[in-house]
Amino acid sequence: MKTFAHLTINKPSFFGLYLLGTPVHVRCEGEAKFLKRISRVGQLLTACLFIIYYSTSVVAESTLLPDEVQIHGFLTQGFFHSSDNNVYGQSDDGISPGLTEIGLNLSYQPWDRLRFAAQGLYRRAGAVDSGSVRLDYGLADLTLLEHDSGKLGLRGGRIKIPFGLYNETRDVAFTHPTILLPQGIYFDRSRSLLISADGGSFYAEQRTDFGDFNFKFNVGKPSNDLNEIKAVVLAKQAAQGTFDTKPAIATQLNYEINGGEYVFAVSYMDLTFDFNPALSEKDIPQNRTHIQPLLFSAQYNGEKITLTGEYEYRWNTFGRFASQGGGKFVSESWYVEGSYRILPELQATVRFDTISMDITDRNGDTAALLGFQRHTAFASDWVFGLRWDITPSWMVRADYTRVHGTAWLPQADNPDPNKTKQDWNLYGLQLSFKF
Amino acid sequence: MQKLGYDKPTFGTILAIVVIFAAFSPVATATEVVVNKSVSTSGYSKADISAIFTMQKRRWSNNRQIKVYTLPDSNPLHKDFVKNNLNMLIYHVRKVWDRMTYSGTGAAPIELESEQEMIEKIATTPDSIGYINSKPDNENIRSFDYQ
Repeated sequence: MKTFAHLTINKPSFFGLYLLGTPVHVRCEGEAKFLKRISRVGQLLTACLFIIYYSTSVVAESTLLPDEVQIHGFLTQGFFHSSDNNVYGQSDDGISPGLTEIGLNLSYQPWDRLRFAAQGLYRRAGAVDSGSVRLDYGLADLTLLEHDSGKLGLRGGRIKIPFGLYNETRDVAFTHPTILLPQGIYFDRSRSLLISADGGSFYAEQRTDFGDFNFKFNVGKPSNDLNEIKAVVLAKQAAQGTFDTKPAIATQLNYEINGGEYVFAVSYMDLTFDFNPALSEKDIPQNRTHIQPLLFSAQYNGEKITLTGEYEYRWNTFGRFASQGGGKFVSESWYVEGSYRILPELQATVRFDTISMDITDRNGDTAALLGFQRHTAFASDWVFGLRWDITPSWMVRADYTRVHGTAWLPQADNPDPNKTKQDWNLYGLQLSFKF
Repeated sequence: MQKLGYDKPTFGTILAIVVIFAAFSPVATATEVVVNKSVSTSGYSKADISAIFTMQKRRWSNNRQIKVYTLPDSNPLHKDFVKNNLNMLIYHVRKVWDRMTYSGTGAAPIELESEQEMIEKIATTPDSIGYINSKPDNENIRSFDYQ
């Protein structure tokens, strides 16, 4: 039976986290440094395998926990190489082992109507995140009313934000087809705003003869850790001040036909955060940013083929630019994706996704006038991916992405915007394990 | 002399061959959904089975919470169960469970290692449901009939 003595798992995990957590600042300029990088990659892999070995051996000799307690987890390591521009570390002209994600969660149901769930997430993502552990979610779930064909309930605590088809499990590699999610919608850059929020959620589920409805209404305060979007909302990456997020609304209506063969969803968010400049910062006034994305999603899940499309329309008000007669603009992003299961465990995926940061400035003229690189205003990606589910617990996949534009490029990995290129290639390889 | 017809099989011989093969081949839905004897099995539909195993329907008609057990994705019995009893796809059922497990919005069924473990679990756990390869041969387990 797959139950785990979590104290036994924790020891090797923390050791692994210690190894993984040491930041890497090696540039691939000389052979010696390259070798150092390779040895670093080896060290990372050893640490990964170490943790996995212990996890699986604990499975084998599992002590029986009661059925009310479940422990699960995942571990993902990604490698990236790009022709230009950096993603998850120094990927340009090198190989960056820059994306490591380890999650461990626990679900405990003391009574029929009450359940507790929490997940810790370790993440290391290039220069954006040099390695940190955070509580991904930690909540109490109370079923208020349950009847033959549905239920109503409340959740309180730190809750994942429902947005589109993938946001709630955006860091769990197994739950989406390619290494990178469509970045025009699931920005990695603004992930702090999108991953989870501290507050409450009301949910309702209803099964009918013509499909299942699932509704969520969340109110909560997202993380204040918004360094990565300073350059976007303030036009100044080195700003010293701090962000203060306000309670945000996230709501979603999901409709599934035939047990999920067809999925349709509408998601909406209302996000507000203030920037409070440091005392020494006279050049940036106190200002407020307001973002309201509306997202439509559709998916068909067949035996061989999965077809997916999502369309986002986003209203933005960047208070920083209000005095310059602007600051209000609308962003648009969409993608279409097709996956084909060549074998039950081998899946090929093709996707086209595109984003315009400002629909009145699709080719970047205004961005250029404001002194930005023209290509920060847009991005269009062609993605070709191959995923192999070796066993139910192990998965490996490779992606090739041809990108036109830099709208979603992480700023921390590319400190000098003048060095970014408009047209570039990105290659990714990812290994993932879950239990 | 009349020519024997075996180089040109008639419709009747083809039908006979098909019937013989059909009689000896295993029945397509051999997987048996089973419950602990504490569960009353009347009045459930095929849609209820899907809702129970995707963890949407959580209570029996007597309001007791349902305890759901499954086998690993790679287990042939599980594959047959998902295809023929749930009428769903393996990858899709997995997606539903993973989404709950890793987002904190629910708990997936408890996965057991083998059919033998399934039989032991169902026999000893009140309000439980699972599936086995044949009619139950245990006084604490009964077949779950659904329309």
